[in-house]
Amino acid sequence: MNTSVKKLVAGIGASIALMGAGSAFAEIKIGIAGPMTGPVAQYGDMQFSGARMAIEQINSNGGVMGESLVAVELDDVCDPKQAVTVANRMVNDGVRFVIGHLCSSSTQPASDIYEDEGILMITPASTSPDITERGYELIFRTIGLDSMQGPVAGEYLASLNPERVAVIHDKQQYGEGIATAVRDTLLENDVEVPMFEGITAGSKDFSSLVTKLRDAGVDYVYYGGYHPELGLILRQARQANLDAVFMGPEGVGNKDINTIAGEAAEGLLVTLPPAFDEKAENQELVKAFEDKDEDPSGPFVLTSYTAVQLVAEGIEQAGSTDPFEVAEALRSNTYSTPIGTVEYDERGDMKSFEFVVYEWHSDGSKTPVN
Amino acid sequence: MQDLLYFIQQLINGLTIGSAYALIAIGYTMVYGIIGMINFAHGEVYMIGAYTALITITGLATLGVAWLPLVLLIALICAVIVASSMGWAVERIAYRPVRGRHRLIPLISAIGMSIFLQNYVHLAQGSRNMGFPLLIEGGFRFGAEDSFQTSISYMQITIFITTLICMTALSLFIARSRTGRACRAVSQDLGMSNLLGIDTNKIIAATFVIGAALAAVAGLLLGMYYGSIDPLFGFIAGLKAFTAAVLGGIGSIPGAMLGGLILGVSESMTSGYLSGEYKDVVSFGLLILILLFKPTGLLGKPEVEKI
Repeated sequence: MNTSVKKLVAGIGASIALMGAGSAFAEIKIGIAGPMTGPVAQYGDMQFSGARMAIEQINSNGGVMGESLVAVELDDVCDPKQAVTVANRMVNDGVRFVIGHLCSSSTQPASDIYEDEGILMITPASTSPDITERGYELIFRTIGLDSMQGPVAGEYLASLNPERVAVIHDKQQYGEGIATAVRDTLLENDVEVPMFEGITAGSKDFSSLVTKLRDAGVDYVYYGGYHPELGLILRQARQANLDAVFMGPEGVGNKDINTIAGEAAEGLLVTLPPAFDEKAENQELVKAFEDKDEDPSGPFVLTSYTAVQLVAEGIEQAGSTDPFEVAEALRSNTYSTPIGTVEYDERGDMKSFEFVVYEWHSDGSKTPVN
Repeated sequence: MQDLLYFIQQLINGLTIGSAYALIAIGYTMVYGIIGMINFAHGEVYMIGAYTALITITGLATLGVAWLPLVLLIALICAVIVASSMGWAVERIAYRPVRGRHRLIPLISAIGMSIFLQNYVHLAQGSRNMGFPLLIEGGFRFGAEDSFQTSISYMQITIFITTLICMTALSLFIARSRTGRACRAVSQDLGMSNLLGIDTNKIIAATFVIGAALAAVAGLLLGMYYGSIDPLFGFIAGLKAFTAAVLGGIGSIPGAMLGGLILGVSESMTSGYLSGEYKDVVSFGLLILILLFKPTGLLGKPEVEKI
């Protein structure tokens, strides 16, 4: 290649780079990172539909500081390795605000990258306490913590005066975290916990576990994890005539558990965030979702919506798109959102977040029990 | 007494899973026995067998066919046909063109095939778990009413009996039939059998097809037994069955059966007496231990250098 051609190529390259930089001034990129594929993709659907709705509504109301929001959507498959790749791509794409990730085990490694690179992240779904425990400046969430959900489940189980409760988990950050909190609460209430053990996420055969549960003579079983495994445990427990009531966190509370467990899902207890879509003040928003043929009832739809709203309001209040200034604004103000009043503590956790116990039915519906 | 019932229950659980592992392991061991290569796409063939069975069962239900033996028979036939043609196609596309090259090349193309099939099912069927309808319910139970009862479900009995029939049929086929004899000849010396007029290409394709058919049977059985399937369904099962094949001595058909049963029982005993967390640690620890003392597996023949 001779020199003049080189110069020409360099010139074109530079002008393309400038064009890219030019267009970036007119918009604010909002990264949305969550599972579009993989075993928990249906939670990702909730996240994406909530966040997209918020972006759409904010843009139709004139955007943020006169600039419109643009979604950058990436798929982390709820896999920690993939989450790191996604986080790096967010950095490369010049994203400064990320809504995500969904699974705690993905959020954890991704948040390290965001904090280092000066990107503000709000997770609408990860409940592991470890995520905010490290004292990061730019990491927030619009959901409660396992340490809040576990005690609610544990107290509820204890109030039923059970004889023996088995606590099972899937050895992952989310499941084991909640299961530990439940066990500790049960022990504090002098409930006997004869079994506390892990299973391997992704395995299919739980006949040995079910046999063991039958042998232990438990009347309640708490499972910390997601629905694919609990669905199979329920089904195999029913086939083996295990007579115990099961309970799980919001990770098991979706209609897919009915496809797997069928009739066996009847009577399952689930702790879930309150049904935000049933609140009177959210009806207008619910209608907006229904007009687009989307389902606003999933636990993470409105938390994701809120996360985008918080980023937008934070930017307005800080008067800047600098993530550090936005984080400062989020910590010092109170926001009224579809999930209630949001107020942050130093770590980036919400000061209050409520969980409700529901009874699940075999047709996929649920009724609150307390 | 109660301890004994508990032990028997775990033994039944283990043997059920173990016999299904054995069915899948046959595919690994036959292909290795004949061309000395590991068919890593075998777990995916098993998964596709399970999907085909589920699709057939759902289709029959919408058509209004409700007589259970007929439904299962049609599902089994469809699964076997689809999986066998898949096994044949995999051999034709990914292995035959690279046969005889450096041994790493077919290995890589096998892994590529496995990833391709997994993602293909992801795209075609979605990544969510699909539930199998509960078709065979109920079972026998033993022991006093008020204490621990050992139960054996009709589903478990179905798995035992089907496995037994398949294994017997396969053993007879290998020992008695003309093709079976040709299979044995090819596994002893591929080049020589070729010279003696055996169509080795056909025999190699036949082993892929037989292995795939057995995997499809296992796919239907385990799909019904577990209750749900997903595109990654074949990966773990394939890994376990491969372990079973190595444990029993890869290349040996009785070895695959024995390996499957040992693996299944060791898994259920570990979950039953220790903890589910150690299930895989113990099974794979056992594998390493056996290979340390008997590198060719339990029933494998020592490798003889061919002259």
